[in-house]
Amino acid sequence: MVPETLIDLLRQAHRYHDTGLRFLDRREAETFHSWAELAETASEVAGSLIAVGIRPGQRVALIYPTEVAFFHAFFGILLAGAVPVPLYPPARLGRLEEYHRRTAAMVQASGAELILTSATVRRLLGRTIELADPPLGCLTLSELPRSAPAEAQPTKDDLALVQFSSGTTVDPKPVALSHRAILAQVDMLNGNWPKTGPVQHSGVSWLPLYHDMGLIGCIFPALERPGTLTLIGPEVFVTRPAIWLRAISRFRATISVAPNFAYGLCVEKIEDREIEGIDLGSWLVALNGAEPVAPAVLRQFLQRFEPYGFRPEALTPVYGLSEATLAVTFSDLDQLFRSETFDRTQLASEDRAVATSDGLELASVGRPLPGVTLRIVDEQGVELENDRVGRVLVRSPALMDGYLGRTEATRATFREGWLDTGDLGFLHEGELYLTSRAKDVVILRGRNHSPAEIEQAIDRVPGARIGCSVAVSRQPENGPTEQLLLFVEHRREAPEEQVRKLPEECRAAVVAATGLRADEVVVLSPGTLPRTSSGKLRRREALTLHLRGKLQPPRAVTPLLLAGAMAKSSLTLWRHKVRKKRRPARRRDSDR
Amino acid sequence: MSRQAATDIESAIAELARNKLSLERDLHPSLRLAEDLGLDSIQLLTLATEVEDHFRVRLDEADEISIETVGDLIAVVEQKLGS
Repeated sequence: MVPETLIDLLRQAHRYHDTGLRFLDRREAETFHSWAELAETASEVAGSLIAVGIRPGQRVALIYPTEVAFFHAFFGILLAGAVPVPLYPPARLGRLEEYHRRTAAMVQASGAELILTSATVRRLLGRTIELADPPLGCLTLSELPRSAPAEAQPTKDDLALVQFSSGTTVDPKPVALSHRAILAQVDMLNGNWPKTGPVQHSGVSWLPLYHDMGLIGCIFPALERPGTLTLIGPEVFVTRPAIWLRAISRFRATISVAPNFAYGLCVEKIEDREIEGIDLGSWLVALNGAEPVAPAVLRQFLQRFEPYGFRPEALTPVYGLSEATLAVTFSDLDQLFRSETFDRTQLASEDRAVATSDGLELASVGRPLPGVTLRIVDEQGVELENDRVGRVLVRSPALMDGYLGRTEATRATFREGWLDTGDLGFLHEGELYLTSRAKDVVILRGRNHSPAEIEQAIDRVPGARIGCSVAVSRQPENGPTEQLLLFVEHRREAPEEQVRKLPEECRAAVVAATGLRADEVVVLSPGTLPRTSSGKLRRREALTLHLRGKLQPPRAVTPLLLAGAMAKSSLTLWRHKVRKKRRPARRRDSDR
Repeated sequence: MSRQAATDIESAIAELARNKLSLERDLHPSLRLAEDLGLDSIQLLTLATEVEDHFRVRLDEADEISIETVGDLIAVVEQKLGS
């Protein structure tokens, strides 16, 4: 029988004793749990969850680091017929106020009945639980009553999983995924890996389990195949990236995925002595997704790790988003990644991609996966031809049902069955290139953040005009990761000393509230930031103006200017005359 | 194990911050890790891990929740080494 739900996959898993999940700790000691064992424990957890009152379709939040208990809880929730909502655990040494508000907002937006967590994480969760106040509270697995194992029978159209595209207190959007969508995604991924003959695919992942790429991209395909997946905690990777590459070599992994920043981090941090004797030759597919791909970073990675057997063709830029469950496009798996340079001016001012020898280098993120279709449209929704920049729309069997409980936001995201990704890009020789984003989201190290949350932190800084700051991220050309820029208007009456200190104070407020460090703080006069006619800040426009050096304060109203304005009509007339005399018309056109 | 003086711990942490976080400025016990030193979440994580590895101690959740300044971190390490 072809599996139609995650429950079908778990039922099959009872037979898989030789494959499963291998956990590596920071000392690189391994613990292995077979799929069969995981499925069995999970069905016991399912029975217990039903015993405490969890009913089919209800959501259960789970907050765990990368450890086996996550899977007991996650699969247990599924087997109870309920819907897991994976959320991230608090960061080390971080200030927790913002974490509590954000996590509570996500628990509430998902409508979770219960939070499952580990004993150690719960010590930090007090305020989150208080704020979110789920009806059944917060429990650890050992606190659940013992009960007979259970296995629910959801249909393929039932809700299977809720994931958040970005962690945020402001307007969190829970992405609702059906079993059908997830299985379609798993099919696309597992149908796409290179044929390896007798070699069985296996993976290594350090990606967080609350992230679409970590959970849907790594866990489910391994469960379906079945294969063995080696898991490393994200915090282990970030502090010791060599452990990732060593694990790939040690376990002869064929597939491993990471955002662009991770490839840059390996180049920057790994020392020769840490990877002495490793062989990366087994690594066939090194996917690069979740944030913009920088060709220069890929080249640096190649240069650094080819001597260790890394295959150049393994590097595979991809594109996807949580609203499409995960993946949308893949570049060729058996070819060197492709990049092209495009004329900057044409891209920026004409929305047209013209290949040139000297311009902006962009990496192709490839072609749609089987079953997926793409359209590039203009602001009116009219389909654009190749090489024209527009909004990227996606049709796929793996699209989300919508944002849970958010009819308006859902309606705004779908256009007649097409998902509006909010990303801007163009098709060039059949492949997708991304240029920027129309949606307001800050992507740093593969994780999405809401700009509103960063801006709220700035509102609390003395001297900053409340509601008049903008947070945007941009990919510096060929930089390893996006940079965070803050545009902050100072208060009109703020003393000079306060204005002078604004960059430093804003940086401190933002890093304390969000754990993100701003790369640049631009202090502006009141009224400088571009707004819509209804007064909403236009974040992308602010960035564009800044990059063009055109983010100028409005001219102050002085008596002289007032007089000028009064004389405006005659002045305009006069100017016209002068211009006509001085400059030929054609030149004026090109100046515009 | 003999009790390591706070100043030794401080200079060891300062060295970790310099080498592992590329932090150029001087550490003073009163400085807050995030607000004053500007450490982001990844740097804080790195600092926690490096401190654990260097002093061979384990910081648990209860310790971490009380650490806001350089001085707090020194105090926790000192207490762990002393116990």
